[in-house]
Amino acid sequence: MRSKMSDILDVVTSKGLTYQQKLYNLANIAERLLDPREILEYTDEEMMYIENDMICDLNEGYAIYRPRYIVPDYYVLLSKGCKFLDLKPPTDLDELLDSLLILYNHVPSITSFPVFIGDLDKLMEPFITDEEKDYIKIKRFLNHVDKAIPDSFCHADIGPEKTKAGELILRAIIELENPTPNMTIRYDKDITPRDFALKAAEACLRVSKPSFSNNKKYYSDLGDHRIVSCYNALPHGGGAYTLPRLRLGTIVKGVRSLDELLSDRLPKVTRAMASMIDKRIRFLVEKSNFFETSFLVKEGFIKRENFSAMFGIVGLADAVNYILKLEGLNEKFGTSKRGDEIGHSILKVISDIANSHEGVYCERTNNRYLLHAQVGASLSQEDYDNTPAHRIRVGEEPILPVHIRQASPFHEYFTSGTGDLFALDQTYLNKLDAVLDIIEGAFASGARYITTYLHNTDLIRVTGYLVKKSDAFKAGQGHATLRDTDILGYGTNDRAHVFERRVRVDGK
Amino acid sequence: MENKAVVNRIIPFSNVDGPGNRLAIFFQGCNISCIYCHNPETINRCISCMACVSGCPSGALKTCDEGVIYDEKVCTECDRCIKTCRYNSSPRAKIYTVDELYKIIDDYKLFIRGITVSGGEPTLQAEFITELFKRVKPLGLTCFVDTNGFFDRERISGLIEAADKFMVDIKAIDNIDILCGTTMKNNIENLKYLLRLNKVYEVRSVIIQDYMDVENTLFTVASILKEYPEVIYKLIRVHTQGLRDEQKEKVKDKVPSAEYVRQLGEKIRDIGVRKVELII
Repeated sequence: MRSKMSDILDVVTSKGLTYQQKLYNLANIAERLLDPREILEYTDEEMMYIENDMICDLNEGYAIYRPRYIVPDYYVLLSKGCKFLDLKPPTDLDELLDSLLILYNHVPSITSFPVFIGDLDKLMEPFITDEEKDYIKIKRFLNHVDKAIPDSFCHADIGPEKTKAGELILRAIIELENPTPNMTIRYDKDITPRDFALKAAEACLRVSKPSFSNNKKYYSDLGDHRIVSCYNALPHGGGAYTLPRLRLGTIVKGVRSLDELLSDRLPKVTRAMASMIDKRIRFLVEKSNFFETSFLVKEGFIKRENFSAMFGIVGLADAVNYILKLEGLNEKFGTSKRGDEIGHSILKVISDIANSHEGVYCERTNNRYLLHAQVGASLSQEDYDNTPAHRIRVGEEPILPVHIRQASPFHEYFTSGTGDLFALDQTYLNKLDAVLDIIEGAFASGARYITTYLHNTDLIRVTGYLVKKSDAFKAGQGHATLRDTDILGYGTNDRAHVFERRVRVDGK
Repeated sequence: MENKAVVNRIIPFSNVDGPGNRLAIFFQGCNISCIYCHNPETINRCISCMACVSGCPSGALKTCDEGVIYDEKVCTECDRCIKTCRYNSSPRAKIYTVDELYKIIDDYKLFIRGITVSGGEPTLQAEFITELFKRVKPLGLTCFVDTNGFFDRERISGLIEAADKFMVDIKAIDNIDILCGTTMKNNIENLKYLLRLNKVYEVRSVIIQDYMDVENTLFTVASILKEYPEVIYKLIRVHTQGLRDEQKEKVKDKVPSAEYVRQLGEKIRDIGVRKVELII
C-alpha cells in the first residue's frame, strides 16, 4: 500500500514508538511514497488489487533496495572471517560470539534486522571447552541478541544433531524467557537423539521455542535450507526477494459460487501477484545494485543464485467459510469435510498457477516461486477477515488429533513454510514423551512445522513469532515498547484472538 | 455372537495413562465402589430408569423402547446427566465391537504410542479386551491395563498374556471393605503375580486418612516393589474436587497434609523403591 505525506508527521509525533522504530518507519514510508506504476511498472489492474486489499504487499515498499529475507551462510565467518568488517576467523568462543554480534548489525532484511542469525549450536560447538563458563557466555550473548535486535522475526536454528552447545542454548533460553531470538530445531527422529529432542520439547513448552520443523520433508523439497523469520524455509546462503500475499478472505467477497472464485476471480488475482513478484525481483536484481554492493555477496555469505521468492496466502478459513455459507451449509472450516474440499480446491488453483509461472532470477528453485502460508498482519481493516495462513479460526478448533489430521494435508502446498500451534495444559511438562509423540505423529502425517506452548505462560507464539503477552498489551495501550513485534502481537490478537487458542487437555 | 463391550468414554490423547501419548478407553462397570471414586458413573450399567432424560439442558438425551438414546453431537458435556443418575451410571456410555474400537485406534495410531484400558474395572471385560489387544498390537502399539488388582487370575489369563503391562491401583490391604465396599482381598497377591511376570508398569495408591491403614498399605507395597527397580510407585493425595456432595462429606476431613505425603514418599524411597512419584 502506498503511503501519504501525512504518515511522516504521524510517525514523528507518535507516543507509541521508540526513536529507533520511528527511524525505520520513516524509511519505510519513503519507500512507499513512490508510485509503483512508475518505478516498477505495475499495471492498473495490479494496483487495483493492492488498493482493494485483495493482494497485500506487507508494506514492503516500491523502491526496493534489499531482499526481504537474507539467510547468510555464517560458516564463512568461521573459515574466512570477514574482510569488510576486518574480522579474522574466530579462535575461541569469545571471538566467535563477538564477531557474530558485529556481523548481525550488517545483515539487512525487510525489518532491517537479521531474520537468520545462524546454526547457533553448530557454530559454537567447536569452541566449547568449559561447560559452566561457556554457559555464562552463551546466555549473555543470547540476551544481547534480544536487546540489540528488537525484532522477534530474528531466528536461530539448532539441530538436527545433538551438541553440547545445543544443550547449553536450550538451558539458556529457558532461563532467559526472552522473545528473541525465535528458534527452531530442525528435527529428524533418525538423527536427533531422543534425550536432546525431549530437552527441546521441554523448552518449547516453557518458553515457546524451539519449534520443531520436519527436516526430512523440508530437505527433500528444498535441499540445504534454514528456518528463518516466523517459520520460513529458505535456501541457505540466499533467501527470499519478496513476499506478497493473497488475502483469500477478501478475494472471496462478492463471488456467487465456488466456481466463479476458482475459474475467474482467483486466477486473475493470483496471476497479478505472480507478475508483481517478477517486477519486484527485476528491480531489486537489475536496478538496486544490492547484489553488486553488499559485502555479504562479495565474501560468499550469500549468493544471488540462492534467492527465491515467496507466494503468500492468508485467510483460507474465511474464504472457505464464505463458500460454505453460499452453499447453504452450517459448517465451519476445520470441522467440515466439504470445507476441506473447498480449501484444497482453492489452494490447487493457486499452486497450479504458481507452479506454472516462469519466475525470474529464481534458478535455485527451478524458477518457481514458493508457496507460503503467511501468518497474518494488522495492516488493514480487511485483516479482521483473514485468519492466519490455512489455520482454523481460534474458537473453532476441533480436538487435537482431529486438528492435526485436518491441518497436515494443507502443509503440503507450502514449500517455503507453514506451521501450526497448539497450546497445551500444564500436565504435559511431566510428560514430555507425550509431546514428542504428538509432534512425531504430526510429521508422520505430513506436517512441516509444529509449535507447542503452555497456555499460561507470558511468552507465547503469536502466529510465527514470539511476544510476551504483557509487552503486547502495553504496546496496545499506546506505550512505546522495545520490540516492533510487540504492537504486531497486540494487533494480531485483536483480530485473530491468538492468546485464546484452545487449551489441550487429554487431546481435546 | 460378536464380542461387544460398554465403553464409558474414550480419551484420544492421554498423557497420564502410561508412557507417552496414549489412547485411553474407559470401560463401564466396576467390581468395587470406593469412597473417593472420581468417576462413579463408570460403576454400573444403565438400567434405563430415564431419570436423566428430562434434566438434559441441550436435548442430547431422548427415550425409546430400548432405553435412553444419546446424541453425541448435541451434547455439551455439562455432566448434568451424570449428576442426576442415582445408580452410578451414565447414559452416555456406548456399546462397541472390537472392530469399531480398532477403527478408532487405527485412526489415531500415528500420534500415540499405545492404548490403555481403564474403567471401571477393565478386567471385567477380559475376553473382549484380549481380542482387542490382539488386533491392536500389529499396529505397533503397546497395550496397557489399568486395574484395581481384584481379579481372578485364571479367568483373565488370556488378557494377562496379551497385555504388555499393567498399572495396578492398590487401594488398601486391611479393611478394604470400608474403603472399597468389597470383600475381595487378592489385590496384593495379584500384584506380586504380575510383577513376577514382568508385567507391571506402575503401582498407585490414593492416600486417604482413617479409611485405610495408610502406612501398612504403602510400606507393604514398597517392600514388594524394592525388588523391581523399573516399576514406578505413584502416591496420590486424595482430593475432593469434582466429588459428589455426599462423597465430599466423607472425604473432606480425611485429606492428608502435603507434608505428610512428602514424608511418606521419603520413607518409601528409604525402603528401596527407586521411582517414586508424588501427586499432591
